[in-house]
Amino acid sequence: MPVVELVRPEWGLIVPELILLGTIVVVLAGDLILSRRQHSVLTWVALAGLALSLLSNLTIDWDAGRSTFNGMFQADYFSLFINIVVGVAGILSVMISSSYVEGGEEPEGLPWPEYLALLLFSILGTMLVGAAGDLLMIFLGIEMGSLAVYALTGFARRRATSLEGALKYFLLGAFATAILIYGMAWTYGATGTTALDEIAARLRPVITGEGGIEASLLLALLLLAIGLGFKIAAVPFHMWTPDAYQGAPTPVSGYMSVVPKVAGFAAMARVLVQALGPLSDSWLTLIAILALATMVYGNVVAIAQRDVKRMLGYSSIGHTGYILVGLAAYSGMSADDRSVSSVLFYLFSYAFMNIGAFGVVTWLQSRGLGVTLDDFRGLATRSPLAAIAMTVFMLSLMGLPPLLGFYAKYYVILAAVQVGLIWLAVAVVVMSAVSAFFYLRVVAVMYFNEPVGDWKTQRTPLLGTGLALMAIGTLVFGLLSSPLLDLAQKWVQAFGVA
Amino acid sequence: MSELTANHFLVLSAALFIIGMMGVLTRRNVLVIFMCVELMFNAVNVSFIGFAWEQNSLVGQTFALFIIAVAAAEAVVGLGIIMALSRRLDTVDIDKVRELRE
Repeated sequence: MPVVELVRPEWGLIVPELILLGTIVVVLAGDLILSRRQHSVLTWVALAGLALSLLSNLTIDWDAGRSTFNGMFQADYFSLFINIVVGVAGILSVMISSSYVEGGEEPEGLPWPEYLALLLFSILGTMLVGAAGDLLMIFLGIEMGSLAVYALTGFARRRATSLEGALKYFLLGAFATAILIYGMAWTYGATGTTALDEIAARLRPVITGEGGIEASLLLALLLLAIGLGFKIAAVPFHMWTPDAYQGAPTPVSGYMSVVPKVAGFAAMARVLVQALGPLSDSWLTLIAILALATMVYGNVVAIAQRDVKRMLGYSSIGHTGYILVGLAAYSGMSADDRSVSSVLFYLFSYAFMNIGAFGVVTWLQSRGLGVTLDDFRGLATRSPLAAIAMTVFMLSLMGLPPLLGFYAKYYVILAAVQVGLIWLAVAVVVMSAVSAFFYLRVVAVMYFNEPVGDWKTQRTPLLGTGLALMAIGTLVFGLLSSPLLDLAQKWVQAFGVA
Repeated sequence: MSELTANHFLVLSAALFIIGMMGVLTRRNVLVIFMCVELMFNAVNVSFIGFAWEQNSLVGQTFALFIIAVAAAEAVVGLGIIMALSRRLDTVDIDKVRELRE
C-alpha cells in the first residue's frame, strides 16, 4: 500500500475568509438565541466581522503569492484587491440595508439575521472566486455567491415583483452556470487539467506549434465566455438584469449591482487571462465586441426609464461594457499592461458610486416615497444633503472629473489606447456623453422641480452615515487613486507566477 | 460491437445538453424549465466523467461530484422561489409572471 501524504493546508493564507465564515456562524447563532428586538445587535457583529476580515489582509505576505490546498487557493495581489473591493462593498451594503430591512419597508417585514447571513455568504463566495486557483474553485465560489443573491432578490416574499425578479434571475443564472461548467468540462477535456496555471502551461506549446488551435478549445472558450457573460450581465446575456434590479429589495439591488459583478469579472480575469491567456488572440475580439454592444445597449435603453431602480439596472449594464473594455485591452503579462488593473480599479470605484445611488433610493423609500423619477422631485428643498449625495453619485457614474468615476473611466480608456483600441476608447467617451442625459435628469428633477407626495420624517443614522462615507469616498478616492492603482497593477505579479 | 470510446460519452452529453437547452428556451412552465436546467447540469457530469475516463484521472469525477452537490443546493433555492411565487400568483407559467416591465 502506498503511503498517501496528506497536504497540510496553510490556514494563515485564508484568514480573511475564515473570519467571515466565523461571522456568519455568529450571526446565525444570534438568530436563534436573540429575541426579535435584539436583532439589531447583529448589524454591528456583521460590520465588525467585515472590518476584521478586511484588516486581517494585513497579516498575509502577499508578495510571496503563495497557494495552498494543493493549488486550489491562491493568496496573491489579485485576490487581495478582490478582498478589499468586496469587503468595502459588504460594509457599505450592510449600512444601507439595516434601516430598510428592519424598518419594515416591505410588507410584513424581513428577517434581518437571515438577510445578513445570506449577504455575508455571497461576499465569502466572491472572495473565493478572487482567490481561486482552479476551475472547480471558480465554479464553487460563483455558485456560493449567486445562490445567496437569488435568495436575497426574492427576500421580500410577500411582494410578487420581488419573487418575479428572483425567478428570472435564478432561471437564467442556473442556465448560465450550466453553460459555464460545460465550458469547464471541455477545457478539462482539451488540456487534461483544471488547475489554472497548469492549463496555461499546457496551452503555450499548442499556440506556438503548427496546426492551429483545436476546435474543442474554441468551443470551451466560447462556452466559458457565454457563461460568465451572463454573470456580469453583458449584452446579449443581460435579459435578467433590469427585472432583477427592479424587483429586488432596493439595498439588495445596490449590493447585487456590485458584488456578483465583481465575482463575474474576477472569474473572467482568472479564467481568460490567467488560464486561457495564451489563447488571447481568440477571445480579445469577442470581448471587445461584447464591450461595445453592452455599453451602447445599456446606456441607450436607460434613457427611456422612469423607474430609477430599473434605470440604474440598465446603467449597470452600460458600466459592464466599460469594464469589459479594460479586459479587452489585455496584451500579455507585461509589467505595463494596464488591462486587469483598470478592471479592478473600476470595480472598486463602482462599489462606491452604485451602492451609493441605490442607497439614496433606499433613503427616499424609508421616507414614504416611491422609486420613480417623480419621487425625486424637489429633493433638494426637502433634504439638501441627500440631494448633494445623489448629485455626487450621478456625476461620478457619468464620469465627471475629479470624481472617482472619472478616474475609473480614464484608466480604462488609457488601457484601451495603449493597445491601439482607439475605437473602443472613443465609444466609451461617446456613451458617457449619452449617459449624461439620464444621470443629469435625476439631478435636474431634484433641484428644479417642486416637491410632490407625502414626506414622513424618519431617522436612519446608519444609512445616512453610509451615504456620507460613499459620497466622501467618491470625492476623495479619485484624487488618491494612484496608490490604489499601483496595488491593482500588481496583478501582473499575481498571474505571472506559474 | 465497437469498443466504448470517449466519443460515446461526449455525444450522449452533447445530446442531453442540447435537449436541456432547447427545453429552457421553448418551455413555458417554470418547473419544466428548471428540470431542463438540471438536465444540462447532468449532461455536463457525463462529459466530465467521459473525459476523466479517457484521461485516466480522477479530477473530472471529483468535479462531477461537486456539480451534483451544487445542483442539489441550487434546487433548494430554486424550488423555494418557485413555491413562494406559485402561492402568491397561483401560476407556474412564465408568461403570466410579468408585472415587471418598462
